[in-house]
Amino acid sequence: MLQKPRNRGRPNTQAERERDWARGAAEEAPSTSRGAGGSQEARGTSSQGGRRAEASPEVGPRSQQQLELKVAELVQFLLIKDQKKIPIKRTDIVKHVIGDYKDIFPDLLKLAAERLEYVFGYKLVELEPKSNTYILINTLEPVEEDAEVRGDQGTPTTGLLMIVLGLIFMKGNTIKETEVWDFLRRLGVYPTKKHLVFGDPKKLITEEFVRQRYLEYRRIPHTDPVDYEFQWGPRTNLETSKMKVLKFVAKVHNQDPKDWPAQYCEALADEEARARPETGGPTPSS
Amino acid sequence: MQLAECQLSAPVAGMSDEKGSLRGGVEKGEEPAGTIAGSVFSVKRVEDEEEPMKVEVAVGADGCPDDLSCQEADIDPYLLGLADDEEKCRKIRRQYRQLIYSVQQNRDDIVNMASDTLTEALEEANVLFDGVSRTREAALDAQFLVLASDLGKEKAKQLNCDMSFFNQVAFCDFLFIFVGLNWMEDDERDELSGCDDNIALSFWETVQKEATSWIVQAETFHFIFGSFKSKPSAPKPRLEHQKKAHKMEENGAMPTKLRKLDLSNNQEATEKEVERILGLLQTYFRKYPDTPVSYFEFVIDPNSFSRTVENIFYVSFIIRDGFARIRLDQDRLPILEPININQVGEGNDPSSHGRRQGVISLSLQDWKNIVATFEISEAMITNSY
Repeated sequence: MLQKPRNRGRPNTQAERERDWARGAAEEAPSTSRGAGGSQEARGTSSQGGRRAEASPEVGPRSQQQLELKVAELVQFLLIKDQKKIPIKRTDIVKHVIGDYKDIFPDLLKLAAERLEYVFGYKLVELEPKSNTYILINTLEPVEEDAEVRGDQGTPTTGLLMIVLGLIFMKGNTIKETEVWDFLRRLGVYPTKKHLVFGDPKKLITEEFVRQRYLEYRRIPHTDPVDYEFQWGPRTNLETSKMKVLKFVAKVHNQDPKDWPAQYCEALADEEARARPETGGPTPSS
Repeated sequence: MQLAECQLSAPVAGMSDEKGSLRGGVEKGEEPAGTIAGSVFSVKRVEDEEEPMKVEVAVGADGCPDDLSCQEADIDPYLLGLADDEEKCRKIRRQYRQLIYSVQQNRDDIVNMASDTLTEALEEANVLFDGVSRTREAALDAQFLVLASDLGKEKAKQLNCDMSFFNQVAFCDFLFIFVGLNWMEDDERDELSGCDDNIALSFWETVQKEATSWIVQAETFHFIFGSFKSKPSAPKPRLEHQKKAHKMEENGAMPTKLRKLDLSNNQEATEKEVERILGLLQTYFRKYPDTPVSYFEFVIDPNSFSRTVENIFYVSFIIRDGFARIRLDQDRLPILEPININQVGEGNDPSSHGRRQGVISLSLQDWKNIVATFEISEAMITNSY
């Protein structure tokens, strides 16, 4: 279950530091006690309750320490929330972390994004313009040497995801669900059978990947029996590209991407579109 | 082309349902409005295919339905006369329906094969259309056209794929090869399901490794030591004990004293034994006062080596606590002597007061030798059980 980052045990030094901050700032705006509640020994539900029962905000000059604390909390919140890879809603951020600092939310977010990039190499991007949901993506391109440890956490779903993404792209950017299962059956992945690695593959593909916004899952109208189709989701376009997926497929085939001219042209066009500056990389908007 | 327009606007209730609303609407002599449904592609297709449809229809522009904006068109009076021929129309309708039905039945063939079946069907429809003079038949013709263009689009899609050929089955095979599994051809098509779990695991791991190099996923964040402050795990057993204790308290019957005793269970056993053996020793000394007992005779159990060792262990406590002492007699054999309480304060023999340490080692062979030499037939320290 996802728990609020402030209740987590931090390395001692940081906890002590924050306790000091909280103590030092205790005389100031009561909003700081939000942080104080989190860094005290009594964590868990008690401090969550304390947070909710917070006193009304005092909008006054906030010290640098308070801001620092807020940014740190925001960074932790984003990191923890990203564990499930479900896009983080702006409303959640405001509700759980920002609170009274709503007026400087854009600045806090910007600072947090900078910190994430500088310390962790993660970029905070908005999923779609004006969607007010954010995801973290890696700024570091994967390197050969990291292959062993990459994607090590949790179930290795990226492989399955890549295969499905490849299928979708190579078949013209949209594919029927029945076709997906016909393909996966050959790999021993069935919609109704429990899988050794993936557990419930149907749930994984049609629900989890969709929730994580890697895939779009739409019902095809007027079909009987009901059939659905898959397309790429917004997250896929941020984390990978048509060219990369084509190269993955090509590598598996041990061939050159150019062996599929139509797809290659499409991927090339996509690359050019990305390279254009104004439509370029999405940035966190406030 | 007026003719083309009215063709397009004729309702098609669904490819499989050519009767019903279609005929009903036409009977009234109106132009029933409706959506050209049938398949998800059909609406789009009709718009897309408007041009070719017009071309097709242009061939059969001779016939003109009698109830539609015919005022502007040139109507051949000869055709109006033909309109009275019901029988002919019925025949035409029948033929259309047959055509539609056969095309539907052979749908898969038409789409998948590089066949001319579709072209043939279209040509047949063209011929039929020559005889069409009423809306009813024209509507059927429209229905057929929708069906044909539907199939046409699917065929075109197939062509597209063939150009930059992506074969899913090959992709599967290549995946296996990529991972390093060499499956024999035609051998167990259902590979990964039926085989070893380990193989499946390693397959997905390998695919994972390759896949992650093409996507910039942020690694999930986890605290190294877990998300709680590390506490010694000792509380857990204590907690259980306390729970048990609480239970007992709730019963109200158990006195506090008993709980304390429970906790120090282990030490108790040794003490009990030591006390018991001390009792035995003291009984002996009382029976035979001023007669030290041979150490070996006291501790050795001729029937059990392990009991002997235990006895030595317990006797060492007795000696440590000062209830007896061990010394060598004139034969340089160890003996056990009692120490009386009053003797302690007397300070008679300095050597006996001095704390000395001795290590007694006894091997199985030694024990057997002693039993034989001293002719020990039964243990002096009897078992408590």
